Amino acid sequence: MSATTVLPVGFASADLFRWLETATPDELDELPFGLVAMTHDGIVERYNLAEARLSGLTPERVIGRNFFTAVAPCTNNFMVAYRFESEPELDAVVDYVFTFRLAPMKVRLRLLQHLAARHMYLVVEKRD
Amino acid sequence: MDGGPAAAYEELLEFLYLTPVGIIKFRPDGKIAMANPVAAQLLMPLSGDGDLSDLYALLAAVAPDLRACVEQFRPAAGQICEERRLVVRSIRKILTLTINKINTEILMAVVRDITRTVEQEIRIFDDQQRFRAIFDNIRDYAIYTVSLDGRVEEWNRTLSRIGGWEPADVTGAPISIFFPPDRAGQPQSTALLEHALQHGSAEFEGWRVRKDGSRFWGDSAATILPDHEDKATGFVIITRDLTERKLREDGLVAQATTDPLTGALNRRAGEARLDDVFARLQRSGQTFAVLMIDCDHFKAVNDRWGHSGGDKVLVSLVEICRDRLRDGDAVIRWGGEEFVLLLPNTSSDNALMVAERLRQSVEAARIEYNGNTIPVTISIGVGTADKADVRADQVVQRADEAVYRAKHAGRNKVAE
Repeated sequence: MSATTVLPVGFASADLFRWLETATPDELDELPFGLVAMTHDGIVERYNLAEARLSGLTPERVIGRNFFTAVAPCTNNFMVAYRFESEPELDAVVDYVFTFRLAPMKVRLRLLQHLAARHMYLVVEKRD
Repeated sequence: MDGGPAAAYEELLEFLYLTPVGIIKFRPDGKIAMANPVAAQLLMPLSGDGDLSDLYALLAAVAPDLRACVEQFRPAAGQICEERRLVVRSIRKILTLTINKINTEILMAVVRDITRTVEQEIRIFDDQQRFRAIFDNIRDYAIYTVSLDGRVEEWNRTLSRIGGWEPADVTGAPISIFFPPDRAGQPQSTALLEHALQHGSAEFEGWRVRKDGSRFWGDSAATILPDHEDKATGFVIITRDLTERKLREDGLVAQATTDPLTGALNRRAGEARLDDVFARLQRSGQTFAVLMIDCDHFKAVNDRWGHSGGDKVLVSLVEICRDRLRDGDAVIRWGGEEFVLLLPNTSSDNALMVAERLRQSVEAARIEYNGNTIPVTISIGVGTADKADVRADQVVQRADEAVYRAKHAGRNKVAE
């Protein structure tokens, strides 16, 4: 895929979850927003290019770790980690602030989880 | 670090991402230049809209004077505040803020969440207050802590209520002041503390001493106070005043051992007392005497004055005996109108003298009954213990034979 390809999904798409389930790593890297795919117990399995650029952390460093305790402890709270833990069926948008490269940045998070699926997803988009 | 500058940069970023305290770099006008994730996490609840650009605006509700503190800080560099507590009521959190001025452009802040520590402090404080209240207000238990060498450290008001002790008498004093000495002359507290040291706790019942020297019957439980390594650092002792219970129990003992009409020992208790003095005779040669007393013509008294008149005579006889007796002597109601006086440590001559005085006292007594005086005399037989005796009742037997002779000699007599 080239950079000019028009992707079939966006941050707010209703069918984002379904698309993510079948997307290839290359396709995930094409996304203009950050994406973290985790197992249901928080172990990172995919960390796309946009997210790596935002955070300054490479996928090699992050994959295999627990996202909430060993990558982004600032999400280990009732607004993010607790919702994944307590809501087996989850599709919610949360306004948040990340400090990518130590600069506070307002972001919008979309939390996606279906118990039957293999992954749960944290989707990160910059907001004004 | 491997992988050159890019990898080193990533390593540092990760280090800051994972740092478990909030770190903020800001300018004197409050603008936040850099913040790590924990800083953002702690400050976000303070911002209405997730705007983390201005530290002063973020902390306006909890530290409104922050800008002034920074502006009025004159030194070129140094600590502006250290571990200042910020109470964020909206989210029930307590943060601390430390700010260092680096130069005229750069300030560094550290933010920590100490909510749990404070909650723990509050719990400990509450526990202490609760303990204090119990300690001070428990009315029937004197509680005091004691050092390893047996000196009073802290104590509650009950000690003054049940013992009359005041702070100046007690603090730093050896606890032996509360305990009378035992037979060996040692304060009973020494044994109490030794036992507690060996077994963790000990409970002794016995007489305790009030400040005025009077005694009360108490129960004292000592428990060792261990430090964090389980080594004894002292004791806590709890003393209850059980005098009323003791008196009640002693009353029960009295009921079981005395004759209800006259208050003299009953025959069973009297025989036990005889056995005691006989055992002492065998052990240490300490002799004793027995007076067998029989009321003369008691049947005639009953016939003339009725049974309650007879009872009045018996009660009066015991009273007269008691008036003449020493501590340690015993009056025993042996049967109907027969009494035994047990006189420990008494020779035959002395016993005869006691008996003769007693006989005279009864003869001279005016026993009033329903406005009349009942004339009464007694016959007394004296028996003295002999080293050849093998049983106590041999002495009683001799006294019994002697009283028979006294009666035979015309009554109102003493015989041996």
